[in-house]
Amino acid sequence: MIEIKNVNKWFGEFQVLTDINETIERGQTVVICGPSGSGKSTLLRCINGLEPYQKGQILVDGVSLSDPKTNLYKLRENIGMVFQRFELYPHMTALQNITLAPMKVRKLSKDKARKKAMELLQRVGIPDKADSYPANLSGGQQQRVAIARSLAMEPKYMMFDEPTSALDPEMIKEVLDVMIDLAKEGMTMLCVTHEMGFAREVADEIIFMDFGKIVERGTYEGFFKNPKSERAKEFLKQIL
Amino acid sequence: MGFAYDFDWGVLWRQPYGIWLLQGLWLTIKIGFVAWIVAFFLGVLVGTLRVTPWRWLRFISTAYTEIFRNIPFLVQLFFWYYAGPMIFGESLGRQINQIVGLNFYVAILALGLYTASRVAEHMRAGFASISRDQYQAVLSTGMTQYQMYRYVIIPYALRIIIPPLTTEFLTIFKNSSVAMTIGVAELTFMSYRIDAETFHGLEATTGAMVIYLILGLTVVRAMGIIEARFKIPGMIGRE
Repeated sequence: MIEIKNVNKWFGEFQVLTDINETIERGQTVVICGPSGSGKSTLLRCINGLEPYQKGQILVDGVSLSDPKTNLYKLRENIGMVFQRFELYPHMTALQNITLAPMKVRKLSKDKARKKAMELLQRVGIPDKADSYPANLSGGQQQRVAIARSLAMEPKYMMFDEPTSALDPEMIKEVLDVMIDLAKEGMTMLCVTHEMGFAREVADEIIFMDFGKIVERGTYEGFFKNPKSERAKEFLKQIL
Repeated sequence: MGFAYDFDWGVLWRQPYGIWLLQGLWLTIKIGFVAWIVAFFLGVLVGTLRVTPWRWLRFISTAYTEIFRNIPFLVQLFFWYYAGPMIFGESLGRQINQIVGLNFYVAILALGLYTASRVAEHMRAGFASISRDQYQAVLSTGMTQYQMYRYVIIPYALRIIIPPLTTEFLTIFKNSSVAMTIGVAELTFMSYRIDAETFHGLEATTGAMVIYLILGLTVVRAMGIIEARFKIPGMIGRE
């Protein structure tokens, strides 16, 4: 369970997150949407300790991120993250990208790590691309390798930061399909995305953020069909 | 056409002068290679420490870089050779001064320390060209800062900066000629020595120039092979 309690964060004078409260139960999929600069990505980075916050508390399985005794590296092993621009290691093959963390962090043998990586590549539908370098893969393929790279650590949680917004329209589906499967298998997911179809299919809750605040929350039906706030209505008009 | 100067290119082949040049070349190669190994590893280390999250390590490495790259190499060489041994106190300093071939070791050390500051700056440029999200992606898989630099960021940055590193490797051979000022009998020293003995400095210097050029081109070629071997697909070495 991820508990976010009254979190506030500033970049210098500028407040990026204001009084964020949210609880994500195991097995849930939560979709975060909102205009750019609303603090969505920053919130994700606070949850795995890539960004510090100044006030409030975030607990992952009861462990506080702001506790100086918390080992953030250890904690991140349980929280996978997928980025907008994939961020694969360009000098390594798809397989090497996936096996690196299991071998170095989990101390898996090379054979075991490879076997696992091949299973994951199978799962995301591109086992034939194991020896390809990121530059020789399409955006959709790169993003699927990135998802496999995160899954290789067998995380309890997965976070997605606009995973399809850098992709061509026809590649979006192949990535969303992988994410939908993952959600249906019971992965706990936190996704910053504006993909309505994805939200409809798997989102247990949708959070709408603006200017660092959670403006509205609801189910797919509640939020996309009947937004309450003027800001959400305006925003949905833009993206639909 | 009349020259007051009496050309004698044969001096380059006549013994012992030809051998002198080759002996000088061998010393130049030895100084360049060993100094490069020092410069490379120390430079990578210092350059990496400059971007790590630990403040005092950043301070030390930044101070190192700025001191060594802002003082002329010749002055640094003199400092290490004449003042260096005294750092260790008078009696130990005296013993150090009696080491056979001290000037050779000092030349390597000075050249390595100086060039390391330049390699460190190239490293910093390499790190800066890698996006913030790329660093975060590594950390998000549970790797530590050390693992992140060791397995992803440093190998990545090194591949980006191979072209300027080639230049540094070349420069180290050329800068090794400064070692003649503390009496190291490298290539330039030998060409002067031939001049002193034969008054055919023009031929000797030309010979040295040609040898430096061939040495340099060989290094360029070797680094080209390394660059091709380690190029990042889709980045350096676009067809």
